[in-house]
Amino acid sequence: MLTPVPHEFAIGGVYFPPLLIAAFVGILAALVTTRLLNRYRLTKYFFYPPLVSLALMIIYTVLIGTFIVGA
Amino acid sequence: MTIAYGISLSQDWDRPYWAGFAVAMVSLASIGQSMNKAALRMFGTLVAVVVALTFLALFAQDRWAFILTVSVYAGFCCYMMSGSKHAYFWQVSCFVVLVICLDAGPDPVNAFNTAVLRAQQTGLGILVYSLLAIFLWPSRSVSAFNAAATELARTQNQFYQACLGLAHGQGDVPEVLRLSAILVQAKTRFDQLLDAAEIDSTEVWELRLSWRRYQQQEMELMQALERWRESLAEVEARHLLRLLPNLDTFGAELDGRLAQIVQMLDDHAPDRMLQIQELAFDKDALRSLPHFDRATVVVARSNMLQLEQLTRSLFETVSELKGYGTTSATPDPPPPLQSLFLPDLDRLANVIRYMAIIWMSWLGLIYVNDLPGGAGLVSFAGSLGIAIANMPQLSVSKLVAPATGSVLFAGILYIFLMPTLSSFIGLGLMIFAVTFAITYLYSEPQQMLGRALGLAMFVTIASISNEQSYNFLSVANTAMMFPLIFLVYATTAYLPWSPRPERRFVRLLGRYFRSSEFLMLTTRWDPARPATRLESWKKAFHAREVATLPAKLGSWAPHLDNWALSSTSMEQVQTLVTSLQLLSYRMERLLGERDKPQAPFLVQQLLEDIRAWRIGIQTTLQRLAAGPAAGEQELLRERLEQTLDKLEARIKEAVDKTPDAQYSERDAESFYRLLAAYRGVSTALVEYVDNAAAIDWVPWHEERFV
Repeated sequence: MLTPVPHEFAIGGVYFPPLLIAAFVGILAALVTTRLLNRYRLTKYFFYPPLVSLALMIIYTVLIGTFIVGA
Repeated sequence: MTIAYGISLSQDWDRPYWAGFAVAMVSLASIGQSMNKAALRMFGTLVAVVVALTFLALFAQDRWAFILTVSVYAGFCCYMMSGSKHAYFWQVSCFVVLVICLDAGPDPVNAFNTAVLRAQQTGLGILVYSLLAIFLWPSRSVSAFNAAATELARTQNQFYQACLGLAHGQGDVPEVLRLSAILVQAKTRFDQLLDAAEIDSTEVWELRLSWRRYQQQEMELMQALERWRESLAEVEARHLLRLLPNLDTFGAELDGRLAQIVQMLDDHAPDRMLQIQELAFDKDALRSLPHFDRATVVVARSNMLQLEQLTRSLFETVSELKGYGTTSATPDPPPPLQSLFLPDLDRLANVIRYMAIIWMSWLGLIYVNDLPGGAGLVSFAGSLGIAIANMPQLSVSKLVAPATGSVLFAGILYIFLMPTLSSFIGLGLMIFAVTFAITYLYSEPQQMLGRALGLAMFVTIASISNEQSYNFLSVANTAMMFPLIFLVYATTAYLPWSPRPERRFVRLLGRYFRSSEFLMLTTRWDPARPATRLESWKKAFHAREVATLPAKLGSWAPHLDNWALSSTSMEQVQTLVTSLQLLSYRMERLLGERDKPQAPFLVQQLLEDIRAWRIGIQTTLQRLAAGPAAGEQELLRERLEQTLDKLEARIKEAVDKTPDAQYSERDAESFYRLLAAYRGVSTALVEYVDNAAAIDWVPWHEERFV
């Protein structure tokens, strides 16, 4: 499977590193996921939610960076 | 702020924004409040300069010893900040040490210049603000202070009247509780304004000793009124009216005194002076009551006699303050000195979090290349972190919006407006307009954080200097610094405990009952074995815990969210906290009565029964320490009733077979007080268990994302 080539993002003439964009989107995605898990009371099945939250942020960042953004 | 910048730039001093910071932070509603804060900022800065230069001189060559020493000092300031009257002094002292050390650490040759410049710019900012505040817009706090003093006395009078209604069996308990809360607010406002009025008013300054005495007496009267109110919950009004025949006249005299105090504070001469009042006691009628009822009446009467003494002292002090009487003949005894150091666990928890903030940002600075902000990240994280660590109830997510807004606002000014300015007139107008807009839009006290962040961001990002340069990277770096700082704050929020309000609440409840259990254990009779120093220290520590934890629980209660309160109302939680406060008062009373001597004969007769009672209470407290809803209310109530009936019979039997010569009237009164104290603790415990049973605790223990 082909993954996107790493490249910088130019927003308003300012270049942003791809990992920064991936991390930003990854954190947002993790926050949305944790809010949804909270809302449906599924969090009670986790032993220690803070670590799960951190793990989700890292997983999303890596996935988005590898397959979407190309970090 | 404009003038402070103007002077600093005209003298070609480096970093004029430090003067701007000083102006922005000391500006408050009145001269007195501002001067008070300005003095604390100046002294804090001077102390920090000495401390920072000492650290730099000693440890400049060893970064680990250096940061260890700096972080230990920062932790010490953090601990002192939350328990001190001069919290701002400690806060300033801490963050100025961080700013100087991190600024001068990589460049120790200029350390002295940096430290002196910081003190100089702070002094300039304070001087400019002071002169303008005094000569241009003098807003003194004396009128607000006088109004606050009258309001406090009036609320106290209303609270007394409401409690008197309870004594007559006509009172309204929710109204009494509402007035009690208003009284606390009025007292807090009075305390704040007294500090300010002492500084900006000569008349208050000259009478400051009398005002401080008045403040102390007000506090004692508030506590006595609370004790009286809670003792009225146990006694039946009909017994009081029958046993205290002149209760009406006595109550009216105290009411009259409090009304006269309000009148004098309102600058009107009193209509009448103090009148001597005795609170008569029908001893024959007292003997016709069961022993436990006798005990409650004795306690209520002694509380009223204490109120008589306190209102008398207060009346005399106010007469002297307002020039309607002579100096009180009997000076107040000096307050007892607290010789034991009693650590506060919550303050220690704040210290752990704060030191973790400093270490995390410091390690990031060392081991991560090109961290946005560089050394500034550590000093910024530390400067804001000391306030964050001392407000554990504040969620980090609440900081995101004001910080983002501030960075955007300051960034727009820096990028689009500032490059078009070519003279100080334009720059000065911009500084004036921005400062005015921020302080106007965030003028409410609860918006203080937004105001401070807005001004701090403007001053930092604008970085005004004589050799002004513009670089988009400085805004971008500052903007990037915040997610990192918030990440550090969010991570350290789990140190040492979970930041979830419901978890903290349950943890505090556990601590409360463990301390209560320990205190109950100390009430056992063992006159042959005096307490060791360690035991006395532990007792003092747990007594302080029991006295302060209900207020701490009250501060966490409003932060409970819908998760914990899905099937519980906020009123139920508040009622639970109120019942704990009641239990604290009664524990305190029990400890006080327990320390007084008792008639040996009565003690011998009832030792076993009271011991069994104490062990019963201890067992319940132990169970509650393990889980806040572990008490079985019906069982507890039944057991209490059985104990009271059994003890009533035992006391009657003991008293009947005791010759009158074996104990005096004073012994009997002392014994009744002790009996009432034991019963008070038991009934307060039953009330707590009732309230705890009404709360659904299951969601409080469920895991969730914060």
